[in-house]
Amino acid sequence: MSVSTADIKRINPLIPIRGKITKIVQETPDVKTFHVTTLDGQKPFIPLPGQLAMFSIPQVGEAMFSITSQGPHHLEMSIKEVGQLTRFLHEVEEGQECGIRGPYGNGFPIDYCKGKDLLFIGGGIGLAPVRSLINYCVENRKDFGKLTVVYGARSYADLVFKEDLFENWPKMENMEVFVTIDRPEEGWNGHVGFVPAYVEELNFSPMVTITCGPPIMIKFVLQSLAKMGFNDKDVITTLEMRMKCGIGKCGRCNIGSCYVCLDGPVFTLEQLKLLPPEY
Amino acid sequence: MNQHTVKMRELARELLSSGQVSLVLGWEKGNLWYKSPPVFISRVEDVEKLIFDEFCHNNLAKYLMDLVHHSGKIAVFVKGCDSRAINRLLQDNQIKREKLYIIGVPCPGLKDPDDAVGKKQGAEVKNSAKCATCSYPNPVVYDALLWETVPVNTTKAPVEELIAKLDSMTPDERYAYWTEQFSRCIRCFACRNVCPACNCRECCFDQAEPDWLGKANNLSENQFMQMTRAMHVAGRCIECGECERVCPMNIPLMAINKKVARDIAELFGECAAGLDLEKRPPLGHFDLNDPEKFM
Amino acid sequence: MKTIVKSRLAELLQTMAQDFRVLVPVKSETVSQFVPWQEGLTVNLEGNTVLPPKDIFFPQTEKMYKFKVKGSSVDIEEFAEDVQKQVIFGIRSCDMQSIDCLDKVFLTKGYEDTFYKTKRDKTLLVALACTKPQDTCFCESLGLNPLEASGADIQVYDLGDALGFVAKTPEGEELLAKYASLFTEVNAVPQKVEGFNLKAEVAGIPEKLAKMFDHPIWDEVSQKCLGCGACAYLCPTCHCFDISGNVKADQGYKFRCWDCCMFSEYTRMAGGHNPRPSKKERVRNRFMHKLYYFQERYGQLLCTGCGRCIAKCPVGMDITAIIEKIKEAEV
Repeated sequence: MSVSTADIKRINPLIPIRGKITKIVQETPDVKTFHVTTLDGQKPFIPLPGQLAMFSIPQVGEAMFSITSQGPHHLEMSIKEVGQLTRFLHEVEEGQECGIRGPYGNGFPIDYCKGKDLLFIGGGIGLAPVRSLINYCVENRKDFGKLTVVYGARSYADLVFKEDLFENWPKMENMEVFVTIDRPEEGWNGHVGFVPAYVEELNFSPMVTITCGPPIMIKFVLQSLAKMGFNDKDVITTLEMRMKCGIGKCGRCNIGSCYVCLDGPVFTLEQLKLLPPEY
Repeated sequence: MNQHTVKMRELARELLSSGQVSLVLGWEKGNLWYKSPPVFISRVEDVEKLIFDEFCHNNLAKYLMDLVHHSGKIAVFVKGCDSRAINRLLQDNQIKREKLYIIGVPCPGLKDPDDAVGKKQGAEVKNSAKCATCSYPNPVVYDALLWETVPVNTTKAPVEELIAKLDSMTPDERYAYWTEQFSRCIRCFACRNVCPACNCRECCFDQAEPDWLGKANNLSENQFMQMTRAMHVAGRCIECGECERVCPMNIPLMAINKKVARDIAELFGECAAGLDLEKRPPLGHFDLNDPEKFM
Repeated sequence: MKTIVKSRLAELLQTMAQDFRVLVPVKSETVSQFVPWQEGLTVNLEGNTVLPPKDIFFPQTEKMYKFKVKGSSVDIEEFAEDVQKQVIFGIRSCDMQSIDCLDKVFLTKGYEDTFYKTKRDKTLLVALACTKPQDTCFCESLGLNPLEASGADIQVYDLGDALGFVAKTPEGEELLAKYASLFTEVNAVPQKVEGFNLKAEVAGIPEKLAKMFDHPIWDEVSQKCLGCGACAYLCPTCHCFDISGNVKADQGYKFRCWDCCMFSEYTRMAGGHNPRPSKKERVRNRFMHKLYYFQERYGQLLCTGCGRCIAKCPVGMDITAIIEKIKEAEV
């Protein structure tokens, strides 16, 4: 598989630059979005949609996260509380300094998506990487066809990016958003059920699809898409592995001869089928 | 082919073909004449791989922990030291006796494979240091004993001399000695992974949260790791010497283990680990007559 | 050929040590590795070292940067690294090949690893021809020439009582010229290499492994593995590393250190999921990486036939026997 990484030369790619958390948004009970700038208020680097950043609190740890969005002067990462570093992050306040390095990975195939109708399917925190591309499409609206988002979470409280889901995106021209939650709950008038079933119910015609979510959701979404006749090379997803260096050296994120940090995290289903079935 | 090997194959064939066991753990010959690595045999036609010679070092009891979910009975060949490991694992409830068919092989003492490196097959090879200190060459637990027991060697062994030398040192000298030894450790964990006393499902050295053992290789982490291990296997070490044999950096680990075993014997009376299934390890239970000088 | 009698090797090294950091192979009961030359050391010209020379460029633990915490502020500062010009003397063909593998990993595919490069760039390589393979050597099977190391600045030949030096690069030329007064020009023919005890047929192995991910061979091969890191840490080509930190009160540093794909926590993610949960997946990844993935990514095998893993594996895992099993496996 070819290496799609740009030839990025930095002084020392393993040493982070100093950054600052300027804003923290509580998305759900266990997901927060962190806005990060350099110490002088600039964007640390300019990522492509789908690329990754090594984000660290040096005294606690460093880990790879997808960049869910960016502004003119900041990057955004939506982070779920799962381990030591993320637990610490969930306790810090705005103004906390941090380390950041990147951007890493290949990002979404934007040129391939241009001029086409796009279907985005997300589950839980899995909407975070997909959102970087949705935002890009929204910002460059005329370059893309119809945008459709199908998103679900366990409950209303677990839905991330509610402002986008219920305010910003539905208002956009030629864009539709379908939201579902796993179980009925009081006050929820929307759809109830799992994402894969909802996708089948909505019965889309084949188009370029970007999907990300828990492995079990992905598994059934892929089955649903296959049933509806979607083409493997038009089904795009992102993978997750433990990473340390981010630059294809430290060894642990390989799937076959691919390094997820360098050759991924974005793969088409066609590419995945050529890789070993497990890790 | 030696008579020992013939007997091993005979019994293994009988056990497998009659369906009494579904797996046999033994030793085989590979590309090097001075190594006899472990082999797992589940088909009758493969019993021809089995051998017994002076290089059957591996303590096969260690694998029984990997095989707790194996369906059917497992036959395992054990030398004296290996058999003590079986008792230890039984005492720690790591394995079930009814799932085992233990075949005792009285051990004449093994040869040192490091001394054979570069030599032609059949050349004179030194005795293995770990066997020179062995007081229990005959299996202490078995379902079948494959051949006559062997006499116990009572000569003073090199490790005893090393302990005597260490005992005669001042604390500072002793600290300097061990500092030099542990500074070489590359933390490959071969010592831990080969050790039948290291039977924790998750080792504290592997835990990420909290990370008791830092990953940096430096003297302080190395000492912490090696001393923690020595203290943890204290009273449970069956003195098979495998840790020292497999250490790629030649750290004399048995000097610590033997020293600790001797200290425990002095405090609590003779209590060699894994000899008696009914006797709990001295540090694993409380007795009203336990010495209390440290309190 | 420029030669020097073996009894005067110490003099040469001592003279070189005034201009360079000189690393030489030594062997005692406690140490068998490359160490900085100092007067009185005996250079081991027989057989290879137990520890590979990879730590010269890629130390087992290497500090990366330091940080200071003050409330919510975190200061990050690089360590100033003072790298001397160095010469590695007596490195064998297998270990020279491993440096080629490490160069590919650390210096290509988009990113250059600064820590590796600063040391690598300042190093001259003086290779020593092997005439007596050890019991566990099989470099010849992998297409290496034990008498001629590719990539060396100087190739040294054992001539019995003397050593012969031949420059292979302009830098090597320059080095020999610098110490010309210590050498005697002699017509000499290098010794031939003796036969190898171990062989491995690697032709077609990567292609075959491409179809063997789900093959039952991995259950069998992994069965006796203990999951320790002896093979990886003694391997001259294994290069996986971890990044971790050391914090004391309000300051600390980040370091990287060798890691090993046999260890359970190697791929374990925050939250507990582990894509390689048992030794079967880990052993498979190790051999796939050495004999297939690396070939696919960098065009060569990640094994040099040095035999260290065979010599030191606690349970006698033998990569040549595994290659043979792969060759014979039905797919």
